Amino acid sequence: MLAYLIRRLLQSFVVFLIVMLITFALPYFEPGGILAPAYIALGTHANAQTVHQWGMQNGIFHPFFIRFWNYLLQVCVHFNLGFSWKNNMSVWSIISLYVPRTIWLALLAFILTLVIALPIGVLQASKRNSVFDYSMTNFLFVLYGIPAFLLSLLMIDWFIFGTLHLQLPPSDGSALQVFTNPVPFIVPIVTLAILNLAFFSRFMRSAVLDVLVQDYVRTAKAKGASQRRILFKHAFRNALGPIITIIGLSIPGLFGGALIIEEVFNYQGVGYETVYAAQYKDIPTVLGITLLITVFTLLGNLLADIGLGVVNPRIRVEGK
Amino acid sequence: MSQLNEMPNPFAAEGPSDQRAKDTSVVESVIVPLWRQRLRIFLQNKLAIGSVIYLVIVVLFCYLGPIIWHFNETNQAAALFSTTNAPPSLHHILGTDGSGFDEFGRIMYGGEYSLSLGMLAGVITIVVGTIYGMISGFIGGVVDSTLMRILDAFLSIPIIFLLLTLITIFPRTSTSLIIIIGIIGWFGNARIIRGDALVIKELEYSQASRAMGAGWWHIIRRHVFPNSVSNIVTVATFAVADAILFLTTLGYLGLGIPAPATDWGTMLNNAAGVQPFYWWQVYPLAAFFILVIVAITYIGEALRDAFEVRLLER
Repeated sequence: MLAYLIRRLLQSFVVFLIVMLITFALPYFEPGGILAPAYIALGTHANAQTVHQWGMQNGIFHPFFIRFWNYLLQVCVHFNLGFSWKNNMSVWSIISLYVPRTIWLALLAFILTLVIALPIGVLQASKRNSVFDYSMTNFLFVLYGIPAFLLSLLMIDWFIFGTLHLQLPPSDGSALQVFTNPVPFIVPIVTLAILNLAFFSRFMRSAVLDVLVQDYVRTAKAKGASQRRILFKHAFRNALGPIITIIGLSIPGLFGGALIIEEVFNYQGVGYETVYAAQYKDIPTVLGITLLITVFTLLGNLLADIGLGVVNPRIRVEGK
Repeated sequence: MSQLNEMPNPFAAEGPSDQRAKDTSVVESVIVPLWRQRLRIFLQNKLAIGSVIYLVIVVLFCYLGPIIWHFNETNQAAALFSTTNAPPSLHHILGTDGSGFDEFGRIMYGGEYSLSLGMLAGVITIVVGTIYGMISGFIGGVVDSTLMRILDAFLSIPIIFLLLTLITIFPRTSTSLIIIIGIIGWFGNARIIRGDALVIKELEYSQASRAMGAGWWHIIRRHVFPNSVSNIVTVATFAVADAILFLTTLGYLGLGIPAPATDWGTMLNNAAGVQPFYWWQVYPLAAFFILVIVAITYIGEALRDAFEVRLLER
């Protein structure tokens, strides 16, 4: 198990390096090259001399691999993500400002999704080919076909400007406002949950269907266990394996899904900040956020594998 | 991909659906060609047939409609003189949009872009994904793990960042939109195809072929590719749906087809982005659009069933 973990960690580190290389190289391909951000950072003060000076200050004129090596050392040894080119802040302080806001939003929505989606999946599988199953499937297909931005805009129209007159969430401030003043967060969280609903309940349904044909379910049925006990004790627990993998893999997707919600609801989270930084070519910020999300993603994959071992002891033995 | 995340399509990853034929166990004495068996399974799926009919109607509506319905959906000068946001009337059966264009004609016009771009971009993602996945899965070993780590890296980069960089590199034309969606969308497909290639190259018939001295190209051409074609076709269907959805997201981000041309995503954003919106600009198009995605997804499911070996008559 330990050897497996170490191998996985090394693999993850390699992926991390590749991500860093790709994201570090991307700005070189933009029109105007690597000096283009200088004109945005300097604004009206940009002329040949100040741009040159700015380039010197930020070490732009070094060759690509020297810059990459310096950045690598800076990130991996000193855990320093650098200083934003646009805002007068270090990248870490930008991250600590915006990431918690997205995490709480995405996490609450995610919990809501699972609470609704998993029982739907189990029920659909247990009442397979029934009217409930078909109508739910069709409904989920429709949910899957709705673009995220359209649903968000319609939700705003229906519940904020429409009948209920709920408020919009505050666009900035502490991340903990979700708990102190939860009402304005209802609409974005519900919207995000609806968007992920189809995905998880579909997977849960097929996972439970795969389990229901297994021998131990037949044994349980033969022993006279009740339908409810079979479903929620035997089938649910065994179907959790694939779901945990999917949950682990969907962690970057949570950020991605939250991005559109943040844009529409004007909620300053990490997605909003990435778009803003990318538009203003604030490369250290974009790089920092990208690397952070990469670390989350890789950790998610790792945790998914470990979690699989917890739920299914057979894998633990094979992993040795 | 549609919602800016790179997850496997939930409908693509499932086992055979339940709308399978109930009487496929009937044994026939005559040997029926494989493609006709598959066609029969496909045709037994009523929803899939309905979806095909709906898509044909949509395509005819978008491409032939403008010939018959000739209002000012593209003429900016005419739009200047017509009422903006006019409610549905006999003249404009779905009203006009915020610029005075006829909404009904505009849906046809935007549909031409959405459908063709989504189609082409979906094809690109599947071609690139197939080549990458085949190479990775077939060669295996160090090449496979290297290519897969690179894929992992691409999957962990936030798509929006890739997108915003690519948008600045390419000019804003429909060709570059196809290329951009193509570049961003192939990662998940490559992974599925790679899994197939990995399994098939180790199966007995491939082994036998190799033992008889067949080269790698022969094995790919005669064994690996034909046996993964079912998955490729299915994944391609979902890829097209995802590409169309992704295009609408681009429209929302303001990165869609530049005006005065339009696509459904841009239209929906322009219409639903104003508060309060005008219902005739949002609901008909939204329903029309969502049903296109649903129809493509149904066809994908039916195709997967048709290719499922377990459902074939033997």
